[in-house]
Amino acid sequence: MTEEILSLITKYPKELRYALAAMQDMQRQFKHVPREGIELLAQHIGCKTAQLYSMATFYKALSLDAKGKHIIKLCDGTACHIRGANQLIDGIERLLGIAPGETSQDGLFSLELVNCLGSCAIAPVMVVDETYYSKVTLEKLPEIIDAYREVTP
Amino acid sequence: MKRTLLVCCGTGCLANGSEQVVQALENAINKMGVMGQIEVKAHIKRTGCNGFCENGPIVQILPDDISYYKVKPHDAQDILSALQENKVVERLLYKNENGERIKSKLENPFYKPQYKIALRNIGEIDPGNIEDYISRGGYEALTKALNMSGSEIIEQVELSGLRGRGGAGFPTGRKWRTAAGYDVFPKYVVCNGDEGDPGAFMDRSILEGDPHSVIEGMAICALAIGATEGFLYIRDEYGLALKNVNAALASALELGFLGKNIMGSGKALNLSVVRGGGAFVCGESTALMASIEGRVGEPRAKYIRSVQRGLWDCPTVLNNVETFANIPVIIRDGGPLYATLGTKTSSGTKVFALVGKVKRTGLVEVQMGATLRHLIFDIGGGIIDDRPFKAVQTGGPSGGCIPSAMLDLPVDFDTLTQYGAMMGSGGMIVMDDRDCMVEVARYYVKFLTEESCGKCTPCREGLRHMLDILTGICEGRGQDGDLELLEQLCQTIAESSLCALGKSAPNPVLTTLKYFRDEYEAHIHNKYCPAGVCSKLTTFVIEKNKCKSCGLCKKNCPVNAIRGEKGQAYEIDQRSCIACGSCRQACRFEAILAQGRAQK
Amino acid sequence: MNIVIDGKSCTCEPGEFLLEVARRNGIYIPTLCNHEGLLGQGCCRVCIVEVVERGWSKTVVSCIYPVLNECEVHTNNEKIKQQRGIILRLLQKRAPQSEIIAALCKAYSAPALDKLNEKDGKCIICGLCVRACSTLGAGAIATVNRGITKEIAPPFNEPPADCIGCGSCARVCPTKAIEYHENETTRTVWEKTFTLVHCASCGAQMGTQEELNFAAEKAGTEPSTLCDACRKKQLALVMADVYSAT
Repeated sequence: MTEEILSLITKYPKELRYALAAMQDMQRQFKHVPREGIELLAQHIGCKTAQLYSMATFYKALSLDAKGKHIIKLCDGTACHIRGANQLIDGIERLLGIAPGETSQDGLFSLELVNCLGSCAIAPVMVVDETYYSKVTLEKLPEIIDAYREVTP
Repeated sequence: MKRTLLVCCGTGCLANGSEQVVQALENAINKMGVMGQIEVKAHIKRTGCNGFCENGPIVQILPDDISYYKVKPHDAQDILSALQENKVVERLLYKNENGERIKSKLENPFYKPQYKIALRNIGEIDPGNIEDYISRGGYEALTKALNMSGSEIIEQVELSGLRGRGGAGFPTGRKWRTAAGYDVFPKYVVCNGDEGDPGAFMDRSILEGDPHSVIEGMAICALAIGATEGFLYIRDEYGLALKNVNAALASALELGFLGKNIMGSGKALNLSVVRGGGAFVCGESTALMASIEGRVGEPRAKYIRSVQRGLWDCPTVLNNVETFANIPVIIRDGGPLYATLGTKTSSGTKVFALVGKVKRTGLVEVQMGATLRHLIFDIGGGIIDDRPFKAVQTGGPSGGCIPSAMLDLPVDFDTLTQYGAMMGSGGMIVMDDRDCMVEVARYYVKFLTEESCGKCTPCREGLRHMLDILTGICEGRGQDGDLELLEQLCQTIAESSLCALGKSAPNPVLTTLKYFRDEYEAHIHNKYCPAGVCSKLTTFVIEKNKCKSCGLCKKNCPVNAIRGEKGQAYEIDQRSCIACGSCRQACRFEAILAQGRAQK
Repeated sequence: MNIVIDGKSCTCEPGEFLLEVARRNGIYIPTLCNHEGLLGQGCCRVCIVEVVERGWSKTVVSCIYPVLNECEVHTNNEKIKQQRGIILRLLQKRAPQSEIIAALCKAYSAPALDKLNEKDGKCIICGLCVRACSTLGAGAIATVNRGITKEIAPPFNEPPADCIGCGSCARVCPTKAIEYHENETTRTVWEKTFTLVHCASCGAQMGTQEELNFAAEKAGTEPSTLCDACRKKQLALVMADVYSAT
């Protein structure tokens, strides 16, 4: 992993202003920001590990724990909230046994609650990986999720 | 006749399958050519978000001026065949309340009352094609600005009366004038695209659908204040916006609208994109700047304004996406003309995101000063299923809930503020009798406890306690004195927090306490949630005489607590029911009744 | 320029922080997250005061409010007393074990607010320790998380690699929330134990080896084996030799 991390990091100039971008890249590639990534990035930039750790725990786009293969983002913005996002949280918990912030035991799914994806007109909205699903209901939920199970060998 | 098929490919329409529609239309066009039929001269353009996402995918055909809604891939053949015969596919037209089919976009009751400036190009152009933008007058304003002095540019912005569209409503011209006055370099221009208010998505739509209007606005600002570098801070969640803005920056650079020598003028501007880290507080200007600098997004006290000491302690103008999108029009047509729109103190237009329990949801741009009633009932078509209107929440977590008695208030920067709410960035979440105002207040406070940066005491500690109290009330543990305690905490948080997030955090609680106090009291004293939302206080029963045994409730029950068969009324097993309300929401016949637990 | 604080006319330089002006004029404003050697942060909000400028009244934190215009300041009127009282009580609910906060609550008759839940410990997350550590250059600790879950911690919640054991964090902490133990030979802070170095000549304690190395590296010298006093003495002897030789 060291090589992969370094090739990600060294794309950026050695300035603090690129720290967030570099960590977002790690998040994308490894589904989390690995500890080694934070340490190597601190060396590259010449800043303190504590500073980057602070950022990694502050920004919601970054996580220190590995996320599942598929990331389910459930919007709990106000529009989605009043159109039944809560029930979907319940529904996913029953379907996959994971609460927001958790990853299923088989490592397939992580559930994240997000604050408004700006798609309020088609609320409630759910995003799996990069695909948006509009007006999700408890009835539609299993079908959407199952599709991701099947493509996984 | 050569036709243009404009297919909306905003995030909303994409979610509804517009990419598949594009494919189907392309296939159909090719197939018809191959089969030797009369060729349909049509080309497809992928446009940005039309704002009417709920009815997507949307296909607009020019010059015929036909707009189709909820188009599915299998409609492609019909659409093209009809075109060939100069006919219209009736079933895909928008149907208004009277059941009439509307052919023209501009006759659609959703679009007709709108007045578009910030959204002027969206849905009409391909955001990936700079020529499209230019053909509609794009970059004319920048060309004009290059022949003006900084002071002349700012004067037009001042004359326009434009105020910041992000929520605070600070006069844009005054901000620019101040920044221009500092003799410290470098100076920066920053676009705040960290749209975080839940329920607002105009900035996403503009960045996705018309990125050049923002870039042009920023370039004009940079000329006016003497900045040579700028940043667009855009939410990482807005994938399509990021993609389109990056592409637009590249093509603007290529054509010389940006770069080391803007259109041969010798002036320079370098713009780059910074992806937001996912923190609502970064919508606050000083937190946003901290984030760009590569730090934790904590705001600082603004005793010295960021226009004097902003990014890396240099003079910085930060405006929001919609504000910048207005600038090219102001410079092109002149500030005074813009000032004739809207109201005296809030000139121009404003984009609102009309969402929630309203029939026609989406983005609407109207002149400032339109009433809430006009927005919700004329443009929005009223409440879904004609249920009673209860409240409209404006301004996101900094705003408040406005009751029906105040529907005739004009919406502008100053009016709603007098009533404890605010226009804010323009989110309008419409709520009906099935929304619990206590739960809504709890929702916003919970949101803020997670999104507060946690730096200062009142916001961090005060919100924590407010959440405890509100959760208690929603779960039936409310006590005498809770409301007074909430008010006390609200006052301290509003008065002594460090930044605008904290200072405005009590608004959702204060407005609901002010206008819906009886609902709080019902929760506390009668352990009853009138809206039937708070599950610990509610049970659901099926009214036998209303049930048509369609089974929809059963399908939507997450815990299989509903039994029933065809021909017989369904029944809810109270032991396994979790009172989530999914069944009531699903029922088309109003057969499911919410009751208080105490009344059981 | 002149401003009026609690009815008293005070002279100050434009840009001077209000808290400094008040203190210089013998007006006491309570503070927690402020430390004279470090840049102000404005986090704890205990030092709030009301400023009336050109007829406009606003609540500001005096520790970082630069006086730029003539104004009238109220450090302890009814409004401020009430807000400060609630802030102090909020802090106490966060850090019930802190003695200084308990004392301040009493002194400012903070309202009881009995219904609010208490946390545990002494830390009020003011971040002064972080400020001290980074100002010094070690940068071993930082704020972690955000919102109501924010806390102060070393990275990865383990003894911080960059900590040099200087103990500045514990010294500046207004609520004595940072555990810090020291005996003849070792010092422990952030669950990291350091060996203490003693002067090769007089045996006085000189701090941790990491601390000495850090200082030496900053100064571009070799870490000293003598304490300040002995080093001066040695230097004096060398000088004396030099003079006596000439």
